[in-house]
Amino acid sequence: MDSGEPSVVLPSSTLSSLSLSLHPLPILNISEHLTRLRLQTNNVLPFVLGALLGTQNGREVEIVNTFEVAVEQGERVDHGSFNVRKEQYKQVFPSLEFIGWYTVASHPTSRHISLHEQFSAYCSTPLLLILQPTHISGVSVTSGHLPIKAYEPTIEIRDRSSRSVYIEAPFTVETGEVERIAVDTTARGGEGGTSLESHLQTQRAAVKMLHDRILLLVNYVKDVISGSAPKDHATIRSLAALLASLPASDSQGFRDEFETEYEDVQLTAYLSTLTKSASILNDIVDKHNVLHSSGREERSAGFLSSRRRGIPGRGFGGVPGDWDRMH
Amino acid sequence: MASSSETALKTFSLTNDIRDISPQDEIYKYDVEANKRLIREQPWTNDPHYFKSCKISAVALIKMVIHARSGVPWEIMGLMQGKVVGHSIVIMDSFALPVQGTETRVNAANEANEYMVQYIEESEKVGRLENAIGWYHSHPGYGCWLSGIDVNTQMNNQKFTDPFVAVVIDPNRTISAGRVDIGAFRTYPAGYTPPNTSASEYQSIPLSKIEDFGVHANQYYSLEVQIFKSALDTELLGLLWNKYWVNTLSQSPLISNRAYAASQLTDLHQKLTKAASNVSQTKPVVPALPSTGEKISSTSKSQKSEPKKEVENQLAKNVKDSTKIAMEAQHGLIAQVIKDILFSSRPGKASLEAITSIEETVEMAIG
Ligand SMILES: [Zn+2]
Repeated sequence: MDSGEPSVVLPSSTLSSLSLSLHPLPILNISEHLTRLRLQTNNVLPFVLGALLGTQNGREVEIVNTFEVAVEQGERVDHGSFNVRKEQYKQVFPSLEFIGWYTVASHPTSRHISLHEQFSAYCSTPLLLILQPTHISGVSVTSGHLPIKAYEPTIEIRDRSSRSVYIEAPFTVETGEVERIAVDTTARGGEGGTSLESHLQTQRAAVKMLHDRILLLVNYVKDVISGSAPKDHATIRSLAALLASLPASDSQGFRDEFETEYEDVQLTAYLSTLTKSASILNDIVDKHNVLHSSGREERSAGFLSSRRRGIPGRGFGGVPGDWDRMH
Repeated sequence: MASSSETALKTFSLTNDIRDISPQDEIYKYDVEANKRLIREQPWTNDPHYFKSCKISAVALIKMVIHARSGVPWEIMGLMQGKVVGHSIVIMDSFALPVQGTETRVNAANEANEYMVQYIEESEKVGRLENAIGWYHSHPGYGCWLSGIDVNTQMNNQKFTDPFVAVVIDPNRTISAGRVDIGAFRTYPAGYTPPNTSASEYQSIPLSKIEDFGVHANQYYSLEVQIFKSALDTELLGLLWNKYWVNTLSQSPLISNRAYAASQLTDLHQKLTKAASNVSQTKPVVPALPSTGEKISSTSKSQKSEPKKEVENQLAKNVKDSTKIAMEAQHGLIAQVIKDILFSSRPGKASLEAITSIEETVEMAIG
């Protein structure tokens, strides 16, 4: 920073090769943790510390959940508490491992390196996830970027001495299906019914997003052709690769599967319509029986009672005994 | 130099908006004293209907739903931490308990007691001050209501650890309906008869559970469920959508819920078989009923018309179930057809056909 301390983050020309995906739950957990501590400590930038839980498979890392970490005096991790929490989460979500930690800061500093060392006993390369608070109340909200950065620790060797540094790890946001539904429900404030309208709106919003992105690419290609944009071969190559893979699934097997699915759903609709018709028909038959049962009763119950039942409405109530017999 | 003055300005504006707690975030504040007072006064003991709504925070909701889904096909259970505000139970956070299995097992959660106590103790150290205020469990595929066992558990909770709320989540219906299927419940004290026993909104319940549902339906009532989030959450959620919108297109409710859809159809089949044996005994809702009241005393009238109505409704109820199944399947199919058009059709070829098929699908869903 300005104090002349060397940056603990390697220049952005080096990016981590991790394939990192982040779920919405950890992001909202950190947000909740920060909001709560702000209110409790009356401080906009309280010291927020928590652990990241997830799965790691080679270079593929998925951050799925988090828990808060208790701190002792002088930003020391309360290892006793930490272990208890870690074990408790292990019991209920056995597939999740401790893979890193989170805090709130604008960028990593030497303070984070010392925290990093406290976590490295639990995991060989604990990742660091930071929520950047200045961005929230400051400028870049409109830019559409999440104010979140992920870093992978590494060792830099320079002048025969080594030091811990961070390299930024780009990440994608991944959701499970229920998670997406829960996040959507929350984003809409708990509203949103099962109606066709809301379903179509969700689909439309996603398609529109796709459309916007494609438009962006088309415009880029246009600009390149007209010479007003620089030619980036890597980008153009990946564009070409994308186009070559369309249509996405042309195989007969996929087609058959799709048709089966389609027919199954239409059969379900047919079944539903049949059930409805059956119910309506049953209703009509019942009503018909009421109107004409007087005729049947006439023969069995004799002349006198049939006369009374000439007007159904009154006839029913005429004698309680008749009412019983009909049911 | 420039950057340092910029940082200073930012820090300044940051320290200054502290007074400016957005009203949206007010709910995240925990007033220990006020809560103690409330616990002492216990205004809810005098009114069985004291609590009207249950407010659930974004994180608590998402955690519970994910936990419920992770347990499928088993039932899972957990606890919620929160407080009382006015006539609402406010849930700030939730955590999973290490119990999983069938209903009986999930409710006999004694083995989780130690876990629970330890978890709550640790919570205080990280600034989660709220006490346990309720429990949640899942009903995978059979809707949100309280079974007989649930009613007993909840009655005990209300007797010994009130204020306490019971939340039920159906992860399967959440996926098939595309919205979180959740209910919050409070039981009535033993022996209390609720004044108006008007049936709540119809929900489809599998045949195997209908009896359990019917017998206990009058022993509890449901609270209105509201979801709340902080100002920061709102901002992040908006930004998140920019990232995860892809999932709307990449996931298919038809595929992820295939087993549940099949089980629903099996259930419908059983219900229809049952209805078929009854159908000869169904009677119409007699339009002449009002006039009969003039002559028969009102008591005998109601006694006789009640069971009759139920028989009548059997088939009509099945119609509701089947409509729901068909509608949800259509919604899933709409998504698939849209994707098919977007990703699998070649320009110019057969696209017209695809468009008519989507129109058909939409029409089906409306009907
Ligand atoms: Zn239950």
